[in-house]
Amino acid sequence: MSPEAAASAGMEQARVNEEARNVVEAEGLKAWYITQAYGVERTVKAVDDLTLSIREGEIYGIAGESGCGKSTLLKALLGEIVSPLTIVGGKVEYEFDAGKIDALKQTAEDREAIRWRRVSYIPQGSMHVLNPVRRIRDTFHDFIAAHQETTREKSIEMARSYLQELGLREGVLGNYPHQLSGGMRQRVTIALATILTPRLIFADEPTTALDVVVQRGVIELLKEVQQRENSTLVLVTHDMGVHANLTNRVAVLYAGNLVEEADTSTIFRRPRHPYTRYLIESLPRMGDRSERVGIPGRPPALDNPPDGCRFHPRCPLATDICRQEVPPLLPVEGIGNGTGPPHRVACFHQVDAPLEAGEIEHATEMPHAD
Amino acid sequence: MTLLQQFILPRLLQWVIVIVVGITITFLIPRLSPVNPIQQALARLTQFQALEPEAVLQLKEQLMANYGLEGSIVEQYFRFWGNLLGGDLGPSFGAFPQRVNDMIGRALPFTVALLTFTTIMGWIIGIIVGTLAAYYPGRLTNLVAGVMIVVYPVPYFIIAFIFLMVFTYYIPFFPLIGVFRGEPFEAEFIATYLHSTFLPAVTLLITGLSFRFIMARALGTAELSSDHVQYATMAGLPDNRLMYSYVARNTMLPQVTDLGLSMGAIFSGTLITEAVFGYPGLGDLLLQAIYQADYNVVMGITLLSIVGIATASLIVDLSYPLVDPRVRYR
Repeated sequence: MSPEAAASAGMEQARVNEEARNVVEAEGLKAWYITQAYGVERTVKAVDDLTLSIREGEIYGIAGESGCGKSTLLKALLGEIVSPLTIVGGKVEYEFDAGKIDALKQTAEDREAIRWRRVSYIPQGSMHVLNPVRRIRDTFHDFIAAHQETTREKSIEMARSYLQELGLREGVLGNYPHQLSGGMRQRVTIALATILTPRLIFADEPTTALDVVVQRGVIELLKEVQQRENSTLVLVTHDMGVHANLTNRVAVLYAGNLVEEADTSTIFRRPRHPYTRYLIESLPRMGDRSERVGIPGRPPALDNPPDGCRFHPRCPLATDICRQEVPPLLPVEGIGNGTGPPHRVACFHQVDAPLEAGEIEHATEMPHAD
Repeated sequence: MTLLQQFILPRLLQWVIVIVVGITITFLIPRLSPVNPIQQALARLTQFQALEPEAVLQLKEQLMANYGLEGSIVEQYFRFWGNLLGGDLGPSFGAFPQRVNDMIGRALPFTVALLTFTTIMGWIIGIIVGTLAAYYPGRLTNLVAGVMIVVYPVPYFIIAFIFLMVFTYYIPFFPLIGVFRGEPFEAEFIATYLHSTFLPAVTLLITGLSFRFIMARALGTAELSSDHVQYATMAGLPDNRLMYSYVARNTMLPQVTDLGLSMGAIFSGTLITEAVFGYPGLGDLLLQAIYQADYNVVMGITLLSIVGIATASLIVDLSYPLVDPRVRYR
């Protein structure tokens, strides 16, 4: 399926309630890795001054190249801050029925109360996230018993009926993780993460490392899990095809900054940020046999990002202002009907045109970043 | 059936091969040595008195028979196996005409009781404390770890000597040399046994414990950073569940292996600890046998050690599938 076709499909299948409230709000979030070795302090600004809000019931995609801070952003949103990751500034709040919760100041008790019942997490590469010496049913029991009164029999019964509902073979309960295929392990992990019907699900590259056929099944499963309780799904992946297929809105990250955020069809049809345009342009298209051009240069090292717009060394449209000032993330004027969240772009030279094949790569000679 | 064929039988075969090769080497080494034990013995016996040539010849033949040195090396080898399978380790030379079987039989229970207790206790306590230390890093943990790391490289006989001096000389509470009175399982025997065994047991326990602690802490720390522990922590699993089923349980494979091998080593005794405390176990017996060039006793204890370690690794191998499902065979 081409990304655009998928994007329009995604648009139609899940229209998010326009008046939905925000489930997650991050403001001015700065999550840095601060390490100290032999007296030399090194700071990697993996997420730098980022503001976003995620609405209830939507599938919110976070896209970007490897090393742009996607996973770090997810950890910060999840409130899983383990040294050397440090929250230097900003806040993250959840809002559920019981009022607002500060995600960055969770105690062990909060965690027991919030995790899995309200906020859950599907990790990247489920190869090793299941205890290798424990049967799947015991792992299910451990995870359920951590959050509610249960007996081993009750937990296993719960797991069995949930797996049945999701169309998974219940026999896996008696297996050890190493006896399952990679795709099955990922599905089991998704079931494990969502068995307590969390309102908010964070998924970190859930389809990476799976072959396309299995990916499809996992995407279907994620969709199903999200729609069961109209939960909010925050999906991090570098795979634009998955975003097109699954998400309602996409945020594009570049070098720790949010550079563009819009609903999925806009991101794929009328992206305004040159980086986003590159990202979409580089995707293969059905019937188009021309060679795909990658984004020139390499993403900057985050311990010493370039001044101004972090994309300027690779950007064909860059001018002096890009090298000196950081472009603010602003809503695009005159777009949308004012009810949904705005299309936001951080660029001084936004491109206001639908994406056409072969448009940007021939625009100008590319300056290559070192 | 396939379990038997693919897993158990190859390991049993391996066990037999290890023992046969080990025993063959034990058989060959003294015979390849340039020292002729007959001439040595004769020299010892004729040192202070001259014997008639006929008596010397008789003595020589008698010694040859006793040492099992009659005939070619191949004949000797088969006779040696014959005796061994008949359960006969021959006579002792140092304490002739006592049988080696009896001497080992007397020393074995002492060693086995002491080492089984200290090995298993050290294993259990070391793993519990080491895993706790891995799970709760902090000032107290660092202090405990510091002590263990200082104690570990100190040779155990130094610790033994310190204990011996402090608790038998300066504070004469424990006997200098093991004293065992009464018949086994009588109250008096048990009392004297505990009294005499306390110091060697504590010495062995301390060294065993420090090693086990360091190993358990290292394994636990590595396990803590694994994906599955981090995921379970993220999911808010309670500490005791995490520590028991997710950290300690997953470090068991190397620990069980190591316990098995330590248990196998029980049959070789602990030479120096037993000698220091005058504890009448296999180590003490071995030391005396070496002093007296009592080859049959040395050989007997070596055989026991070979069989013990081979059997222990067999048991460890066979128990892997119980400890780690990934090793389970179809």
